[in-house]
Amino acid sequence: MLVGGHGYSNPNANWLDNRGLWLSYGIGFLVLHLTLLSIPVLTTSTAWTLTNLLHNLFHFVFLHILKGSIWDTQDQGRSRELTQWEQIDSGMQFTSTRKFLTSAPVIMFLLTTFYTKYDNVHFIINFVSLMFVLLPKLPQFHEVRLFGINRY
Amino acid sequence: MSTMQNGSLKNIQQREQRPFVESFEKIPLLTAATTFIGFYLILLMGYVSSIIFTPKVAQERNRKGYVPLYDQFESFYSRYVYRRLKDCWNIPICSCPGSEVTVKDRVTHDCGWTFEYTGTRTTCLNLGSYNYLGFAQASGPCSDAAAVKIKELGCATASPRVEFGTQKIHQEIEALTAEFVGTEDAITFGMGFATNALNLPSIMSKGCLVASDEKNHASLILGLRLSGATIRVFKHNNMESLRKLLHNAVVYGQPRSHRPWKKIFIVVEGVYSMEGSIVRLPEIVQLKREYKAYLYVDEAHSIGAVGPNGRGVIDYFGVDPKDVDILMGTYTKSFGSAGGYIAGTKAFINHLRANSHANCYATSMPSACAEQIISSMKIIMGKDGTNEGRKRIQQLAHNSQYFRRKLNQMGIITIGNNDSPVVPMMVYMHSKIANVVRRLIKRDIAVVGVGFPATPLMEGRIRFCLSAAHTKEQLDYALTHIEEAADYLGLRYSRKPRSKEIVTYEEVGKEE
Repeated sequence: MLVGGHGYSNPNANWLDNRGLWLSYGIGFLVLHLTLLSIPVLTTSTAWTLTNLLHNLFHFVFLHILKGSIWDTQDQGRSRELTQWEQIDSGMQFTSTRKFLTSAPVIMFLLTTFYTKYDNVHFIINFVSLMFVLLPKLPQFHEVRLFGINRY
Repeated sequence: MSTMQNGSLKNIQQREQRPFVESFEKIPLLTAATTFIGFYLILLMGYVSSIIFTPKVAQERNRKGYVPLYDQFESFYSRYVYRRLKDCWNIPICSCPGSEVTVKDRVTHDCGWTFEYTGTRTTCLNLGSYNYLGFAQASGPCSDAAAVKIKELGCATASPRVEFGTQKIHQEIEALTAEFVGTEDAITFGMGFATNALNLPSIMSKGCLVASDEKNHASLILGLRLSGATIRVFKHNNMESLRKLLHNAVVYGQPRSHRPWKKIFIVVEGVYSMEGSIVRLPEIVQLKREYKAYLYVDEAHSIGAVGPNGRGVIDYFGVDPKDVDILMGTYTKSFGSAGGYIAGTKAFINHLRANSHANCYATSMPSACAEQIISSMKIIMGKDGTNEGRKRIQQLAHNSQYFRRKLNQMGIITIGNNDSPVVPMMVYMHSKIANVVRRLIKRDIAVVGVGFPATPLMEGRIRFCLSAAHTKEQLDYALTHIEEAADYLGLRYSRKPRSKEIVTYEEVGKEE
């Protein structure tokens, strides 16, 4: 499918800038969390940690592992090697979408540490998962591939 | 009074005749969130099913040892999003697309991978064709004249204009177009898209600046990119944004050297076909005079369709044609033919005759298309001695206003200008677009649904194109079923107050 003839050579760069992202993100997260909370076997702490881990997993896979876009773009393959995060707003840093997507895992982490009553084990697990999600978002890590993982 | 939204200028002489009423109501927040959730779901489901199942089309045979032809991720959209709705587009038609069109029915038994013809045909009310003045007819004075011309001049010239492709009819049509539009001279080409894409490079080059509207058509964007000029985009129909752009361009000059720009162009369209908005021409002319820029107006959808005499946005606003430097238009929409033209001063058109890529390398317009244009243009101008042209123009205006007001009364969000013949109805979610198209086809109404990526993500719409060939009964029939669909799908998103006054249809001919 040929896209981008209308001025944006890669529609993937701007699709998250639209109205409704924040609310839909919140709703999606809430649905996930309430589903996990309603499983009777899990304690509240486990449910919160699991939510945080799953959320960060989705984040990591969809934003930092998936590369390219779901169409043939008109930018001669420049975006094929870029992860979704790197494509947002065509590489411009510190836009609203990027700030929102950076702060979402942080807020999740703070809430989780509170609801797990600052337990050490939970903290370490949540912190490691947070680092996985936060580090790739730093501007210094733009287009950096460690150890050649996910380069092509 | 121009509405103060969207940045119109303060001290512009107001036209006393018609108020400029444009509306671009924003999507409600909850609808935007649910649209996003719809996208997440379809992406998730598609992703999961692409991992688990390989579709039949992706299994390549006898290719052992070869790299796969299609990257699975890049064909994701067309296989897992577009395929689900594919039955709403590319429906084959087997009649002239006038006010009614006959479609070939087809069904899919495997969710959109393959289609099968049922063998039946349905005649539907056509709300999707750009048939603004109703000249898409297989019979009538225009088609008869065109058929005669084929016998006289042949089906095609098989040659570019500068070689053996110029026939007398081309000179006739250029003179007629220049008279119609009100300029000194005009040049015509066989293809409307190519008129933009291949002529802009001969008009501008590196070192020129182009202020291009956000929602310009793909042909303009392609032409501007091919030309090598610097393109800066201003917000759609927003005069403050354009003023700032021009001001900065003149003050700061070219990016690093700060030399003055060779030429500054403003490229806009007369009527934007996706939004249904009309360009603010008087204000742009004032800006162009202030900042000494050149103006290029693409009247593809407005020539013949707006204005009391059908001469386009120039006529609609009462602007002097000499103020617009380059007038471009196509014959595809209102004249029922094919091809495009550029009109301007004699010196400019002579430059194009020598330097235009389309003139030198592309085949010239076939004589039948040219004759169709000549006869339809003469009808619109009233040169055939009847009142037919005027009646059609008025009928189109009444149809578009009636339709739009009725839709607004239902509470449906329509965007764009009240006077444009294009009425986009906002539906937002892809599933709703598909549902509306399918429901209406079942009730014998053919409409066009457009979604992402042809439109912005949050602006999926059904785009109705009104025609002078539509009668009030047809419009009422369509409106009843659209209201039914609106109730079923919850399309009454508008939060503006709905007027309770009865919308009457002004009959054409009663005014005179």
